[in-house]
Order: sequence, then structure tokens, then C-alpha cells
Amino acid sequence: MQVMILFAVLVLTYLMVIAKRVPALIRSFRFQSFFLFLATLLAAFKEKQVELYFVSGLIILVKVFLIPHFLDLMARKIKVDENLGLLVNSQLSLLAALLLTYSSWALSRNLGFGQGPLQLAAVSVAFSVIFIGAFLMISRIRAFTQVVGILTMENGIFLFASAVSGGMPFLVEIAVFFDVFISVIIMGVFVYRINKLFTHIDVNKLSQLKG
Amino acid sequence: MNKIFFILIQLVFFIAVAPLLSGLISKIKNSLRMRKGQSILQPYYNLAKLFSKGEVVSATASWVFRITPFIVIASTLCAASLIPVFIFPASLNYLGDFLALIFILALGRFFLALAGLDTGSSFGGMGSSREMFISSLVEPVLCLVIFSVSLRSGSTSLAAFSAVGAAPVTFIIAGAALFLITLAETSRIPVDNQETHLELTMVHEAMILEYSGRSLALIEMASYVKQMIFFLLIAQIVFPVSLPVSVNPLQVIFWAIWFLARLAIVAISVAVVEVSVAKMRLFRVADFLGFAFVLGIIAGICAILGV
Amino acid sequence: MLNLFPKQFFLFDPLALFFLAVIFIVSLPSAIYAIGYFSPKANPPAAERGEYSPGKITLSWFLLVIFILSMAAVVTAANALIFLIVWEIMSLVSYFLVVFDTTHEKSIRAGAIYIIMTHIGTAFLIAAFMMMYRHAHTFDFFALKNACQSIPPQIKNLIFLLLLVGFGTKAGIVPLHIWLPYAHPQAPSHISSIMSGVMIKTAIYGIIRFVIFVLGVNSSWWGILILILALISCLVGVIYALMEHDLKRLLAYHSVENIGIILLGVGLSMFFISLNLPYLAVFSLIAGLYHLVNHAIFKGLLFLCAGSVYKATGTRDIEKLGGLIKKMPQTALYFLIGAMAISALPPLNGFVSEWLTLQAFFLGAFKVTGGVKLFLGVCASLLALTGGLAAACFVKAFGITFLALPRSNHAKAAQEVPLAMRAGMFFLALLTVIFGLSAALIMKLLARITGSVTGIDISNMGFSLNNFILQPQAGKGIYLSPALLALVLIALGIAGFAVYRLTGRKKAVIFNTWDCGYYKVDARNEYTATAFSKPLRIAFSFFLLPYRKTQKIRESFYHVKSFTYETHTTPVFRKYAYEPLVGLVMRAAKFMRRIQPGSIHLYLLYIFVTVLLLIIFMNKF
Repeated sequence: MQVMILFAVLVLTYLMVIAKRVPALIRSFRFQSFFLFLATLLAAFKEKQVELYFVSGLIILVKVFLIPHFLDLMARKIKVDENLGLLVNSQLSLLAALLLTYSSWALSRNLGFGQGPLQLAAVSVAFSVIFIGAFLMISRIRAFTQVVGILTMENGIFLFASAVSGGMPFLVEIAVFFDVFISVIIMGVFVYRINKLFTHIDVNKLSQLKG
Repeated sequence: MNKIFFILIQLVFFIAVAPLLSGLISKIKNSLRMRKGQSILQPYYNLAKLFSKGEVVSATASWVFRITPFIVIASTLCAASLIPVFIFPASLNYLGDFLALIFILALGRFFLALAGLDTGSSFGGMGSSREMFISSLVEPVLCLVIFSVSLRSGSTSLAAFSAVGAAPVTFIIAGAALFLITLAETSRIPVDNQETHLELTMVHEAMILEYSGRSLALIEMASYVKQMIFFLLIAQIVFPVSLPVSVNPLQVIFWAIWFLARLAIVAISVAVVEVSVAKMRLFRVADFLGFAFVLGIIAGICAILGV
Repeated sequence: MLNLFPKQFFLFDPLALFFLAVIFIVSLPSAIYAIGYFSPKANPPAAERGEYSPGKITLSWFLLVIFILSMAAVVTAANALIFLIVWEIMSLVSYFLVVFDTTHEKSIRAGAIYIIMTHIGTAFLIAAFMMMYRHAHTFDFFALKNACQSIPPQIKNLIFLLLLVGFGTKAGIVPLHIWLPYAHPQAPSHISSIMSGVMIKTAIYGIIRFVIFVLGVNSSWWGILILILALISCLVGVIYALMEHDLKRLLAYHSVENIGIILLGVGLSMFFISLNLPYLAVFSLIAGLYHLVNHAIFKGLLFLCAGSVYKATGTRDIEKLGGLIKKMPQTALYFLIGAMAISALPPLNGFVSEWLTLQAFFLGAFKVTGGVKLFLGVCASLLALTGGLAAACFVKAFGITFLALPRSNHAKAAQEVPLAMRAGMFFLALLTVIFGLSAALIMKLLARITGSVTGIDISNMGFSLNNFILQPQAGKGIYLSPALLALVLIALGIAGFAVYRLTGRKKAVIFNTWDCGYYKVDARNEYTATAFSKPLRIAFSFFLLPYRKTQKIRESFYHVKSFTYETHTTPVFRKYAYEPLVGLVMRAAKFMRRIQPGSIHLYLLYIFVTVLLLIIFMNKF
């Protein structure tokens, strides 16, 4: 069951990589967070810890409903071209994502995470989500992807933490969630302002500000 | 008390004999030029005339111009009192040594150059500029001469090199360098011409162009004394003779005659040089003094070798 | 465990007290001068220069106090770390004081050059101190001194060179002097006098303290290196000074020259220490320290006078001045005294210290063996050359600025400066005379200080016959008495005046300048400063590399409408040493700029690749 969930998370991450339009990206992020919610719920059943229920509730509230809704709202308000500018085209991006997954598997094996076969898989999936989130930030032009990339990386870190140590301390999780939520709001506002000033959110054009 | 008395006699001696040297030089130059020329005592007549004349001072001049003749005569006479002529070696001079001599003469030159600039005439400024140029290039050579002489004689005191005896090679070469310096410092051809008042050719005369009357007399007196100081130094270095220790009258008279004869020899050589060569262009003076510098270094090497 | 917390902050041994005295001797008159400098009476409406607002004046007083206190802390620090901290504070505060006149863009440029050079020097100092710390594991001076005796010679040589470069940038040794002619003219005049009179001396303090006291001199080539560098500084400084027509830049170049003369004394002392000639070592260090305090006094005085001239006329260019002796008689007198002192004329203090330095060379030449004798003799003659050139330069400076007729309306409108400024100058001029006449007493004090620094026993060394006559070496008959000289000169001067009065009764007639019978003499007939220094410009043209620019504008073939003639000297150090270096640094920076294209993606890529590499190679770290 857990393997299925991990697999689903990975597939959704690939879907994020090959997404060519903004709504597709946000949708993939929403489903990825949903599967993360499922994994946490499963862990909550197994461990029988109340906190994990609470955390999974938070996940579904914040990461599955609120944040994607907010991002959609932003996207509509800005009225930019729905195209998600790709610096690296989607086939090459997929190849790069595969490469990053392999390297994360090699890395987690080198780091000695092979206590149980499940742990190895979970850790490598977590690492690959992190790396692919970083890759998204590097290879996409619109400012939106920077936001989504950060969120994906946060997902990956959460996955990593739960795979290695059964979750971070409760308060830390609450704090992280709150942080993430607020930072998304701030980033959204910024993107809106950037668009208002420059009438586009091409991060590429930042190099024109160079002295 | 004794010392002060002897210093005073020495100063009187300098003042009395210095113009005679200038007269001697012009007499010899004239006779070499096959002319009768002026008498040997002419400088005395000139000074007497100047002392009796009135003075015209420029309106643009300030107190520096008025005070310069006194500073010049004071510094030159002070330098003259440093050289042991009448002072017996037992009584040492506490004022200064050979090195201090240069600085004291520099005091007079500084104020003379300022006085040249003070009147606002272009000749004065020109003379000051040339004079400071020549004198600043003379200083290193003079220092090397002092270096070699004092290295050979053991001390920079002026009484030391008169006690050496027969002139060693160092002293002769140093004397030659000092001779070239004397030509520069006393404004003789080939560096400067005392008989001219043309803009192209005068250096010392240009600085004192605006002086007249008694101030000019004092300045002329100072330049005679300075000339005698340099001649005396050359004479002491090239023909060193120890000062008379006993009061035997015959010995003293003999010493006095030899003393004056040495001065006369130096004066005659200066006169011969003045007549034989032409005045150099100002910018060639640097090469001339460079040659003197090389002579000074050779003298230094000889002093180190101990010859 | 870093032994950072010092047991003792301040050290008050004789050397430190001497430098403290120097600092306060110069700072107090400058501070009094500053009271007048900022007053509205010193800013007559005829000339234009910066008006200071009251807030800015308060700021400048605050900075001045911190500056003086930081310099005092530098010379009394007992610990190398404290030394570095207050050294940096001193440099920073002086930077703010240099760029005080922020309306002039020249000030900002001068400040930039100054702060960059001084920081480069501090970097070398830090390197030297770190190397010493590695051997001693402490920063305390006395502990360092003990530990430095066991450092291997190559390391000692390296530390010496680092210290030399570090202190050399602050002192202004050629070729690290390039900030001096920019920074000193731009600062307000009392700051220039403190900077030139005292701040560059703290670098000499550093050399004496760290090389002679802490490091200990064993090799003779150290002294010879300092001698050569000092000679080059002397000559370069004075030759450039001769060509300058900005009064304060001229004085700044003379500071370079005089630092050279001070270092001649210090270098000789190091040379004699390494040859184990204690009497000569003490004597040369006395000569160096004496010239240090003399230079502080007369350079401070000259800068204050230059500031007065600037305040009264609004310009520092001497080609536009003239005739100021009639309008500002007191300032002229003080400037004359300062000029006489710096040209080493008897009986003032500059004469005594230069005579002492020359005697140190000569006495050393008597004692050492071999070819070094000739080297010392040639060094002495080059020192005499710089003395002569300095006198020429000050005849020009004083003569063209103060004498004859005014050359412009600025000079015509000059007035005497207020009392506070005159009081500061008077005090320093008085000190000039006193330090000359009381040479023997000062030498006794300096002997004690030198004895404590070099560790040589001075109880048997007597440098003077009695309180008025100096006697460098007993038994050779060499004497000097500035007091007696002054007496004799005054007596002979009075005698000359008596002769003058007795030989004639007529008063002098005041009339126009004769000038060979030219009847229309006015300010345009006077000699200019450029013309005054032309023979020297030609004599030293192999170094100055003068060039000229002419421009003829013709209306027709026969009628020339205007002809412009400019003559310049090439700034050799700037053009051949610094500009290539700066160009190299700029080109390297431009090349490195390529890794910063301004694209966020590239920067993110840098971050992630670095993190990845760090994780992958985690075991290696």
C-alpha cells in the first residue's frame, strides 16, 4: 500500500515536470499533496498517534485545498499567458527527472539508509522529489514555478522526515505549515506586484537589471 | 677671553684681506689679457664709494629685503670665524665643524635668494632660481669632499686636516673637487661671470641687482669674505701646514708669508682658469658639477684606501 | 585556546611617552588653530571656499578628538591585537576627516585612494602579526619579544618585509607614497597638519617598536634596505615637491622627503645594531628621533600657515599669490621660520637634526670597514643634495607666495587671519626655535629613550659637553653649539647694522623697482613659480619626463589668434606602477563577472549543485 502511494507521488512529480501549462502544474501539485495526505493517514493508523491525524488534516486543508486554490486565484487575476515557459523542453526535462531519480537512489544507498527495503524506497523518493523541485525552479521561466518548486521541495522534506524518523516533532510541523502558508501568500502577492509593474512574470528578464 | 680676542682679530684679518684677493684676481686676468687694468686696491675704493652713497629701496620690497644684507654678512663672518687661522690648535672652536660651515653659508644664500624675489623684478627671480639650482647641485659634491678629507684626517673638525703634514693623494683630489666647487660658489667663469650684467649670463649679480649704497657694500663685502673662505679651505687642503705653536717671531713671519703665498697661488689659478675657458650654458653646469662629484668619489675611494 | 584577552592594555615606556609628547605638541596648537579656522571671521566674503554648518563643525570636533585619542592609543598599546584595533580606528577616522569637504569631488577621490592604500598596509600588518603569533601564541609585546628570539631567520626576514610594507604605506615610503599628495591637501588644514605631523610618525613608531624592540635586528641587510628606500624617498619626494604649485601638495611631498630622512637615522641604527656598534646605534637613532619631533613641529607649522593662506585668499595655487607679506605679516613670519627650519638653516631645529644625521653617517664611516664606507659617504652626499633641493623649493614657496606684488585679485584681497589661528602658529614657531637652541638637553632625553628601546646601556655615553655644546664623539674635536651660533649670528648682525648706521646718515629713498630701467613694472613682470623650478626640471628630466602640449589657433596664415602652452611632468609612479596594477585588477574582475549573468536560474543552479556536491562528498569533509 505504501509502495503504491510512493509510486503515485513519484509519478505525479514527473507529471509536474512535463506540465506545459500553469493549471496542469497546480493540479499535479494538488494531487501530490493528496497522496502525501494518504501516506500520513496510513502512518497515523499504524502508529495510532493522534498528532498524525491532526497533521494529515492540516495537509489536506492547507496543501490540497487552500494553497492550490490561492495559486489558481493568482493565476486568473494575473491573466498571463497560461504557457509555462520552459527553458528545457519537456522531453529533456523528463530525462533529467529520471536521471535525478537514479542519482537520489544512489545517494540514499550510499548514505546507508537501507534499514528496511521500504525505507530505502521512501528515502530515495523523498530525495528525488526534492531534487526535481529544485530542477523545476531552475528550468522554468515563469515566477509561478519558483513558488511551486519551493512547495514541492517542502513536500519532499516532509516525506524524508517521515521516512527516516517517523515524522518531525509536532510543534515543528505546525510551525512549518504555518510558514509555508504565509510564504505562499507573500510570494503570491509579490508575483502579482511584479506583474503589475512589468506586465509579465518572466524571471529571465531579471538579467536586464544587471549593472 | 683669549679665544674671543683671537676670533675678533681673525675676523678683522678676513675683512681686511678679502677684497685684496679679488683685486689680485682681476689684476692677473687683465695682465693675461695684455691690459693694464685697474689697480689691486680697486675693490677697497669701490667699497668706500658704496659706503658713502645713498640708497634706493624698491617700493615692492618688504623687511626681508632690508634685513638680508645683515644676515648675509653675519652668516659669512660667522663661517669665517670657524676656520682656524689664528686659533692655535690647543683652543678648539665650539661653534661648529666643517659640516656646520655649509649650513651657515646656506643661511646667507637663502636670504639672498629671497631678497632677489622680493623686489618683483624679473632679473631678481631669475638670479634666485639659477643660484638655488647651482647651489643645490654643489651640496653633494661638497659633502663628498668633506667626507674624504675627514675620513683621511680622522674627524670632521676644521682643525684636524691642518695637522696632517704633507698632502696625501686624497687631499689633492679632494682639493681639485673643491676647486671646481669654488668656481661655482664664488660665481667665477665657467659658471657665472662677475663682470657682466646681461640677463643671459648673470647669476649672483642678478640677485643683488636692486641693492645700492651701504647695503650693497655689505653684500659685496660678504661675497669677498666667502671667496676667501673657499680659497683658504683649498689652500689648507692642498698645502696643509700646521699652525704655529711657538711665538718665535721669525717662525711667525715665515708662516705668515707662506700663508699669504698659498692664498695667492689659489687666486692665480682661479684667474688663469677664468681667462682660459668660456662661460658654460646654465644647464651644462649640472654636467660640470657631475664631474666634480666623480672627483669627490675618487677622493673618497682614496681615503678608504688610506693613501 | 586563543590568548586574546590582554593582561595589560597600555604600556608607558619611554618610547611611548616620547611619541605621546609629539602627538600632543602638534595636536594642541592645531586644535587651537581650528577654533579660528571655523569661525565666520576666517571666511571673508571676497574669496570662495566651503562654508561649514554648525552641525558639521561639531562633527569635526568630535572626529578630531577621537582621532587624537586613537593616535595616543596606537603609541601606548601593549598588545598587538589592541594595536591593530586602534590602528584601524585611526585610519577610519582620518578617512572621514579627509573627505570632510564633501562638496569637492577631489576630496572624495583623495579619500578613496587613501583608504584603499591604508587598508592594503593593514592587511600586510595583520599577516605579520599572525606569523609572529604562530610562534609566540600570545599578542603581548614583551612575550613576543622573548619568543621572537627563537624564530628561524627566513621567517624573520619575511616578517620584517611584511612589517616594512605595512608600515611603509602609512608612513609614505616610495613607492607606497601615492596617497599622500592626494589626501593631505584635501583635508582641512589643521587635520593636514596633524596627519602630516603626527599620523605618519605613528608608522615610524611601529617600525621602531616592532622591528627593533620586538623582532630584534640580526641581519645587516635590513638596515641597508631601509637606507636605500629612505634615500629614494628623500630624492623622489623633494624632486616632485619642486615641481608642485599647489602649496599643500608641495608640503605633502616634503613630508615624503622628511620621512626618508627620519628613516635614514632609523635604518642606520638598525645597521649598527646588527654590526654590534652600540654607541653609533644609539647616536643614529637619536638623530632619527630628533628629526621626527622636529619635522612634526615644523611641518605642522607649515601646514597651518598654508591653511591660513588658503583661508585668506581662497586659493592654494602659488602662481596666483604674491605680496602676502604686506597683507598677512604674522603668517609670513611664521611661514618663514618654518621654511628656514625645513631647509636646515642654523640655528633652528631642522639644522641640528640634519647635522646629527650627517654626523651619524660620517662617524659610522669612520668605524666600519670596507666598501660600506663609500656607500655611507654617498648616502650622506645624497642627503646633502636633498637638503639643498629642499632649500631651493622653500625659497620658491615663500618667495612667490609672500614676496613681491600680488598676482591676482585673490591675493590682493587677502587679510590677516583671526587670533586663534595665529596663536596656534605662534606656539609651533616658538617650539621650532626652542628645539633648536636646547639641542643638548633634548639629546639627553632622547638618549634615555633610545637606551630603553634598543636595550643598550647608555650610562657611559655622553653626547654633549655641557648644556649648550653638542659633542658627538669625544676626543675628535667635533662640536656644535646652536645656542652659541645664534648668539654669534645676532652679534655679528648687530655689528653689521652698526657699521651700516655709522657710515652714513642719509635715509634710503623709496622708489620703483629699477629692473634695468623698465618703467612699467607690475605683477606680470615677476618671475613665476614654473619658471623658478625650470632649471631643476631640466636637470632631473630623466626622472620627471616632462612633456608639453601646445595649441595654435589661427585666424589666417599671418594672424595667430591664440596660443596655448602647457607643460606637464609625467607622474612616473602613477603611470608605470599603479595604473597597470589597477588595470590588471579591473580586467580580472571583469573576467570574473561572467559568472554573474543576472539570471535567477543560474544562481539557483549554483546553489543546488554546491549542496549536491557537498552531500556527495560529505565523507571527505
